[in-house]
Amino acid sequence: MTLLDVKNLVQHFPTGRGKAVQAVNGVDFTVDAGETLALVGESGSGKTTIGRCVLGLIQPTGGSILFHGEPMGGRRTLRSPELRGRMQLVFQEPAESLDPRIVVGRTIGEPMAALGASRADREKAVRLAAQRVGLPERLLGSYPAELSMGLQQRVGIARAVVSRPELIVLDEPTSALDPSARAEIIDLLIRLQKELGTAYLFISHDLSTVRYLSHRVAVLYLGSIVEQGPSAELFAAPRHPYSVGLLASVLLPNPELRRESTIRLEGEIPSPIDLPPGCPLEGRCPLAIARCREMPPVETVSPGHTVRCWRHADVAQMEQAVDYFERFQIEAERILTPAPSKQEEQWAN
Amino acid sequence: MTTPVLAVEGLDVEFPSYGEAPVRALHGLDLSIGEQEIVGLVGESGSGKTTLARAIMQLVPPPGRISQGSVSFEGRDLSKLDEEQLRTLRGRAMSMVIANPRSELNPLLTVGQQIGNILKYHTGCKGRELRERVIEMLKEVRIPDPERRYDAFPHELSGGMAQRVVMAIALICNPRLVISDDATSGLDVTVQAQVLELLKRLAERHRTAMLFITRDIGITAHFCDRVAIIYGGEIMEIATRARFFANPMHPYSVLLLAAFSHNPKLRSYWLKEGEAAAEARPAETGCPFAPRCVRVREHCRSVHPELRELEAGHHVRCHFPVERRA
Ligand SMILES: Nc1ncnc2c1ncn2[C@@H]1O[C@H](COP(=O)(O)OP(=O)(O)O)[C@@H](O)[C@H]1O
Ligand SMILES: Nc1ncnc2c1ncn2[C@@H]1O[C@H](COP(=O)(O)OP(=O)(O)O)[C@@H](O)[C@H]1O
Ligand code: SF4
Ligand SMILES: [Mg+2]
Ligand SMILES: [Mg+2]
Repeated sequence: MTLLDVKNLVQHFPTGRGKAVQAVNGVDFTVDAGETLALVGESGSGKTTIGRCVLGLIQPTGGSILFHGEPMGGRRTLRSPELRGRMQLVFQEPAESLDPRIVVGRTIGEPMAALGASRADREKAVRLAAQRVGLPERLLGSYPAELSMGLQQRVGIARAVVSRPELIVLDEPTSALDPSARAEIIDLLIRLQKELGTAYLFISHDLSTVRYLSHRVAVLYLGSIVEQGPSAELFAAPRHPYSVGLLASVLLPNPELRRESTIRLEGEIPSPIDLPPGCPLEGRCPLAIARCREMPPVETVSPGHTVRCWRHADVAQMEQAVDYFERFQIEAERILTPAPSKQEEQWAN
Repeated sequence: MTTPVLAVEGLDVEFPSYGEAPVRALHGLDLSIGEQEIVGLVGESGSGKTTLARAIMQLVPPPGRISQGSVSFEGRDLSKLDEEQLRTLRGRAMSMVIANPRSELNPLLTVGQQIGNILKYHTGCKGRELRERVIEMLKEVRIPDPERRYDAFPHELSGGMAQRVVMAIALICNPRLVISDDATSGLDVTVQAQVLELLKRLAERHRTAMLFITRDIGITAHFCDRVAIIYGGEIMEIATRARFFANPMHPYSVLLLAAFSHNPKLRSYWLKEGEAAAEARPAETGCPFAPRCVRVREHCRSVHPELRELEAGHHVRCHFPVERRA
């Protein structure tokens, strides 16, 4: 069932003198109930803006966002009476999104309070949410500053799930965390999705996390989705030069495993003001041809896998279909399989 | 054997703490870096990485101090040098690249002035030659349109560009050792990949050795000759890159790698259950990692493990290292 349907979303922010930041430029995607769609892209690509539009927090310049078939925006936001508790948001910096003067138990209960739940119901829901996210009950009376970053993020997630929403927008929820805290949060999100059937719009620039957590991925560049598809397929066989460049930049902790590609991105993302009309990557793309000054159409390369590039067939020719993330996982199993220490064996005997 | 560029031996650094025992940021730290070698130093926040970088530069902020051990640079014990001698060494023979390039740059000086000042201070080079050498350096760090960027102010630069300027400052005097402290952490992945490649190429071309400090163990897998893991101010494991990643032996190293696993069972085996473990401070006696270690035994809590060479060139500080069968 389609929960969220975003069509031709455009968001431009006027900057004066008749110019505008073209943050989002005609983006299409859907999110089904219970699934995770990841929006990946480097900073400034428009991820947060899309998330805010989806929640109705800003009014898009154009396009439509349907939640359960009804448009978002105007008075229909995640805070409006009919949607209250059905959509939630988790931020990157847990510390910034939690009120330092309020004990975390109360913060977690806020969505229930907004729904008008009785005190008893609220407390029950808070305890349950805390339990779900692995936050010890004795910490509910703590202030955010007394908790580690990982625990603060659990508080943020508990607040997001307390009302059992259908959709959670997670904006870089793991970016501020150490890898081990990140892994725990990812596990937690996967488990919660299984338990509660919540859909996630997962915004991240961390491709390792995305590969693991999401069913489908949309790759954003300068406010356009350049490629979209099932995670396993897109990571193994990227068809857009930017997706290739992005994947080749990922440094997995294994010297043997890095996408080797002749497609190398030079330079940096330009500012999204006065974007030229063609392919957004044109200025940086090693495969660019004259035609790239026109916007390429969205083409379907396999079921559910779309790409917006004039030369996607050439990319397919040039790139080996290898999922380095998957290969890394296999290698990681070898390294992580518990091996006893000789010393320990001696001690045991 | 030739003299290493850098030799840190038995280094202790302490920060006095009011009314309590001093914080021991580094403890018995040994590390040597050979000519043109890139050594990656990986550890989480608070493990002592920046303190080591500062101690090497003889810049531990007081009242912190080096309480034991020595730092030798090209065979010279730096504690024997006076401030004047150290100043000529810093920025010239050894230099540092840090994160937040913007805060590192003076907002009131142009790019050309900031790079040029270093060169002028250390070599007396000036005038046209100075300008030419600075522009040459800007080209080397691949700043587009270097003639124009020479006169740009830091706020006119993107993050990636500012990081390149900081690299240019660190490299302009052809140092023998560059210390990079978390220098690429704020950058986007495609920019980071470019900056790393550039840094490596420049280090090769100028025959510079490098201590590459990072929290991201993934970078070291593709960038360094050797990898060292630091925890609680001590080196836990150090080996060549290939050996380290093929056969990490310290439980903490394995924990760091486990964080990337998608197999919750294997991962949770190494990551001791719960936040309590993640919050644990390094132990003062015995093995510093004991409070978070899945293999801990009574012995670990009482006896401090030595750094032992378990394979050729592969040193591990653990009583019960992980030993895989071939
Ligand atoms: N309120 C705003 N006013 C003007 N520009 C904005 C505003 N919000 C975002 N932008 C710009 O829109 C672009 C996309 O931003 P954002 O959605 O935050 O990207 P991401 O989350 O992918 O980093 C950036 O260039 C950003 O500077
Ligand atoms: N200026 C200082 N004063 C007091 N303690 C310090 C100071 N600098 C570092 N420390 C302590 O030394 C330890 C190591 O810190 P640091 O070297 O900054 O670690 P890292 O760079 O690995 O994050 C920490 O416990 C930190 O609190
Ligand atoms: S010495 Fe003991 S506690 Fe320390 S890491 Fe090894 S096994 Fe674990
Ligand atoms: Mg954002
Ligand atoms: Mg540091």
